[in-house]
Amino acid sequence: MDSRPRVLVADDEDDIRLLVTLAVRKAGCTVVASVADGTEALAVARTETPDLLVLDVSMPGATGLEVCTALRAEPATAGCRVLLLSAGASPDDIARGLSAGADAYLPKPFTVAGLVARVRDLTSGVQA
Amino acid sequence: MTAVLDPPSVRVPSPAPAHRRQRFVPAGLAVLALAGVLLLASRPDGLLLVTGAAVAVLPVAELARRLRRQVAEARGLEEQRRDLVTQGRTTAEELERATRMMRARAQTMTSVIDAVTEQSIIGTDRDGVVRVWNPGAERMLGLPRADVVRTRSITDFHAPEELDGGTAPGADPAQRTAARFAALVRVAREQGSDVRDWTYLTADGRQLTVSVAITPRTDDDGEQAGWNFVGTDMTEVRATERLKDQFVSLISHELRTPLSSILGYLELVMDEEGQPLTDEQRQYLAVVERNAQRLLRLVGDLLFTAQVDAGRFTLQPEDVDLAGIVRAAEETARVAAAARGVDVSVAVPDGGLVVRGDALRLGQACDNLVSNAVKFTPAGGHVTLRLVPGWQDEGGQVAAEQRPGSRAVASLVVSDTGVGIPAGEQGQLYTSFFRASTARRNAVPGVGLGLTITKAITTAHGGSLDVTSAEGVGTTFTMTLPVGC
Repeated sequence: MDSRPRVLVADDEDDIRLLVTLAVRKAGCTVVASVADGTEALAVARTETPDLLVLDVSMPGATGLEVCTALRAEPATAGCRVLLLSAGASPDDIARGLSAGADAYLPKPFTVAGLVARVRDLTSGVQA
Repeated sequence: MTAVLDPPSVRVPSPAPAHRRQRFVPAGLAVLALAGVLLLASRPDGLLLVTGAAVAVLPVAELARRLRRQVAEARGLEEQRRDLVTQGRTTAEELERATRMMRARAQTMTSVIDAVTEQSIIGTDRDGVVRVWNPGAERMLGLPRADVVRTRSITDFHAPEELDGGTAPGADPAQRTAARFAALVRVAREQGSDVRDWTYLTADGRQLTVSVAITPRTDDDGEQAGWNFVGTDMTEVRATERLKDQFVSLISHELRTPLSSILGYLELVMDEEGQPLTDEQRQYLAVVERNAQRLLRLVGDLLFTAQVDAGRFTLQPEDVDLAGIVRAAEETARVAAAARGVDVSVAVPDGGLVVRGDALRLGQACDNLVSNAVKFTPAGGHVTLRLVPGWQDEGGQVAAEQRPGSRAVASLVVSDTGVGIPAGEQGQLYTSFFRASTARRNAVPGVGLGLTITKAITTAHGGSLDVTSAEGVGTTFTMTLPVGC
């Protein structure tokens, strides 16, 4: 059985979603699903219970913040780690993300190296 | 009033005859008495006759004395009367003058208030009942003065939810109005005045966003007589501001997202270990990356300028070593400076120089000054970065030694031997999108936001940004920051 950390990627921009997926793989993780809207991300999270979710903040369906809040409210998913990605880089944006329950917040544009490091950091506890 | 006190209406005897009587009556009596005495004394039984005459003369003298006293009293009364008439006349004139002035002043005030048609000027009594309602208020709220004055409360024209403050309004209308009015003037009552946006409700059911200045009004004795509310309709301005915010936010998102892709995939390609790039390919991709970064900076600058304009720019204060910031700025500019053949030297205190500030923003300000200096300096020129501690007096002068009343500051001095800024343009340097003629003439790239941002950051830290420049000689920017801000 694959013991690598399991990661869910959600971003409505195809190019960014692929870029994040590549970075997650570079970090030594498995991508259990990559989806384009928040509602789908939440549905997959409930069935797959991934170790980490990398969520874009601005998504159709439900925003990354709403997904994060919903995950924290349910015992089954409350323990999932969440990394938010957003074009909003102001201190207020970051504060909103963290108060929604995110473990980390990375403003766009991010460097691939920076994203890889953050994913490794957030999944280090579950690394086989 | 004037008629009552008018002197011609008061009838009094002429003073002249009394005066003459006083002088001639005693003299006449004395002559008569003397003639009688002489006549009688000339007779053989003169002694008896003289004695009888003396008895007859005595009542006459007494009469004359009384008469003199009465005449003196009459004179005194006459003088008092004249004084009173003069006083009355003066008082009447003063009163008339004051009345005229009051009328003129009231007329001036009324005409000024009535001339204001773009602002609502509403005056109320202490309980909020409208007493003054100018044409601006008529126009803004759609109700004539006669329908409002003395019959309506100003709270009738406010969105109730803004005044109820989340609490359920009371059932009694009078109490509800009183509570809402108290909420409306609460800040002005506490602080003496209050300016903020309120929502006005017009007669035809529209909602207006109005910036209202609320101040208390006092009467002649200094007692509070009521409240003034001067309102400016900001509905369109606020809508435009919201649109601008949304636009900036949209642009920010729409530009950052593709830039994320460009920079991210570039990084993947350039770091690909399996298939290393040729030097030429790496060089081309470096150009792509440099320009993507330039676009990214521009987006960041635009966003930041919009935040400054909207007053939504906040600092994250911490202890920052400015020496580190200056060294980092030099490092950032090093490649560009070398490419242009510009020498950059740095002089900072060995032990560093710590100020309280936002490291990211201070770094951005310092980068802007250094990159500008490099950009505007021709090949063979010099850029000098100096960081020096000092003491600034209340007049803004900085000295090396501490003096009474001075505060500790750090001065970052960025000097170049560049093209310079014409003296007539130096006042516009901090205006968004302004570009000096020397920048345009020398085709120096830029959009004119760097100094606007640097100035905003410096000001937000309680510091100052000064420039000295001579065309063809060079420019020196001095950023002075308080050490303990």
